[in-house]
Amino acid sequence: METSYQKLVPQTTNKLKVCWHWLIAIAAIALIAWSFTDMDFGGIKASAGQIAGAIFKGIFHPDWHYVYTGDGEDLVSELWETMCIAFLGTFISAIISVPFAFWSAHTKYKRWWSARLGKIVLAVIRSFPEIVLALMFIKAVGPGSAAGVLALGFHSVGMLAKLFSEAIENLEEGANEAVTATGGSKWHIMMFATLPNLLPALISNTLYRFDVSLRSASILGLVGAGGIGYPLIIALQYRQWDRVGIILLGIIVMVVLVDWLSGWIRARLV
Amino acid sequence: MAATTKPMIECTKVSKVYPDGTVGLKNINLKIAQGEFVVIVGLSGAGKSTLLRSINRLQDITSGEILIAGESITSARGKALRLLRCNIGMIFQNFNLVKRSSVLRNVLTGRIAYYPTWKTTFNLFSKADKQTAYEALQQVGLADKVYSRADELSGGQQQRVSIARVLAQNPQLILADEPTASLDPQTSRKVMNDLKMLNEKYGMTVVANLHSVALAREFGQRVVGVRAGEIVYDGQMSDTPEAVFNDIYNGGVGKGVAQS
Repeated sequence: METSYQKLVPQTTNKLKVCWHWLIAIAAIALIAWSFTDMDFGGIKASAGQIAGAIFKGIFHPDWHYVYTGDGEDLVSELWETMCIAFLGTFISAIISVPFAFWSAHTKYKRWWSARLGKIVLAVIRSFPEIVLALMFIKAVGPGSAAGVLALGFHSVGMLAKLFSEAIENLEEGANEAVTATGGSKWHIMMFATLPNLLPALISNTLYRFDVSLRSASILGLVGAGGIGYPLIIALQYRQWDRVGIILLGIIVMVVLVDWLSGWIRARLV
Repeated sequence: MAATTKPMIECTKVSKVYPDGTVGLKNINLKIAQGEFVVIVGLSGAGKSTLLRSINRLQDITSGEILIAGESITSARGKALRLLRCNIGMIFQNFNLVKRSSVLRNVLTGRIAYYPTWKTTFNLFSKADKQTAYEALQQVGLADKVYSRADELSGGQQQRVSIARVLAQNPQLILADEPTASLDPQTSRKVMNDLKMLNEKYGMTVVANLHSVALAREFGQRVVGVRAGEIVYDGQMSDTPEAVFNDIYNGGVGKGVAQS
C-alpha cells in the first residue's frame, strides 16, 4: 500500500519563553556576583602556613593510642555513643512521624486544609536546626546524650514525616478501594491496605534518615549534647591535631560502614 | 426471605456528572433481581465502571437513587453504609490485593466488617474465620498458596485470591469490574467459571463488566448494553442476536470509527 509520510516540522519556539529563560539566567548570575560584594576578606594571617602544616601533620599522623584505652572515654566508646544517639533519635522520630505523615498526606479521605495545615507544622519543625534544638534541650535536661537524642528525635520528624506523607500520597488507591468495598472503616483501610503497602517506604526512609542523623550526631557534641563531637572540640581547642586526625578518621569509618550497611538492607527491601 | 421479593439492585434515574463536566451516567433505570448473572457490555469510557462503582458507592452519584435489596445506599452514612457494602463483594480489574500481605490475610480482609475494629487491628481473627478463608481458597484451587505472599502469585491466581476474598465475605451481590481485562484467554475462562460457581452454588447475584463479547455470550444470562452513559440495550442473552453486540461496539453516534 502506498503511504506518504508527513515531513517533521521543527518544534515551535515560544519567543516569550526564550526571553524569560535568558532573563532568569542573567538574574541568577547577577545575584551570585552581588553576593560576593558583601564578603569581608581580611587577608591571610602570617602564621597560616605554620598552622596549616601542623594540622596536616597531625591529621596524617593520627593518635592511635586514643582508639581504645578502656576508660570509656576513648574513640570506640565515643563513636558507639554517637551511634546510639543517632539510632535512638531516629527510632523515636520514626514512630512520631507516622501519625504526622497521615495527617499531612493529601489523600481523598480528608479535607484539603487538614493536609495543608499538617505540611505547615512539619515545615516549622524542620526549620529548627538540630544544633539550636540541642542547645534548648541541654537547658531542659542538662548536657549529655539525652539532649542529643531529643534534639535529633524532634528535628528528624520534620523531614521523615514529609517523606512518609509523600510515600502515602504515591500509594496506589486499589488496595484501599478493595478494603472499602468489603465494608471496612477508615481505620481498617489504614491497617489492612495502607500500612502494609507503605512499610518498605517507611523502613527505607528511616534508614536513610539514620545515615543523616549519624552525621548530625557527630557534631551535636560540639555544643555538649553527647557523642564524638565533644572530644573533637576539646582536641581542636587544645590544638591536639593528631587527636583531631584520629577522631575524623573514626567518623569517616563509621559513616562509611553504616552507609554500606543501610544501603545493603535497603536493596533487599522490595 | 424478605429480600427475594425486592430486587437486588434498583437504580432510579441515576445520573453522574464528574466535577470537570464529563457526563458519566445519564438517567439510568435498572432493576436486577436476586440470583441473576448480568453482564454489562460497552466500549471503554461508556460508563460501565462508573455504573458499577456507583452501586457500592465507591463513587457518589449526582442525582437519583440506588437501592440494594430495598435499602438506599445513596443516603446511607457511616456504619449503615459499611454494613450495606459488607453485603456487596467487588472484584477489580487489577485484583487490588495487598501485595505484601499473605494470601490468607488478603482473604481475611473480606471478613473485617464483621469484627470490631480493635480485634482486626491485632489480627485477632477467629479460628472459624481462618478456616472459612482456607475453604474459600480451596474452592478456587489455591489451597497450597495460603501462606504465600500475594505478589508471588501470577495474575490469574491473584484474581482468584480476590474471588476467595469475596467468597469469605459471603455477600449476596458481587460486582466484577472488568475481572478478566488483564488476564490471558484461558485464565479468563477460569476466573469466569469461578464467578459462575458463586452464582450457581451460592445464589449470589453477579454483575460483571466485560470487554470480551465471547465471554459475555458464554457466561451472561442477561445483557445490559451501555453507550455514552446510557443503557441502550437490556435483554436475556438467549434472545440477544449478534447484531446487538455489533451495534453496541460499533454503531451509535460516531463511536468506533477507527475500527478496521
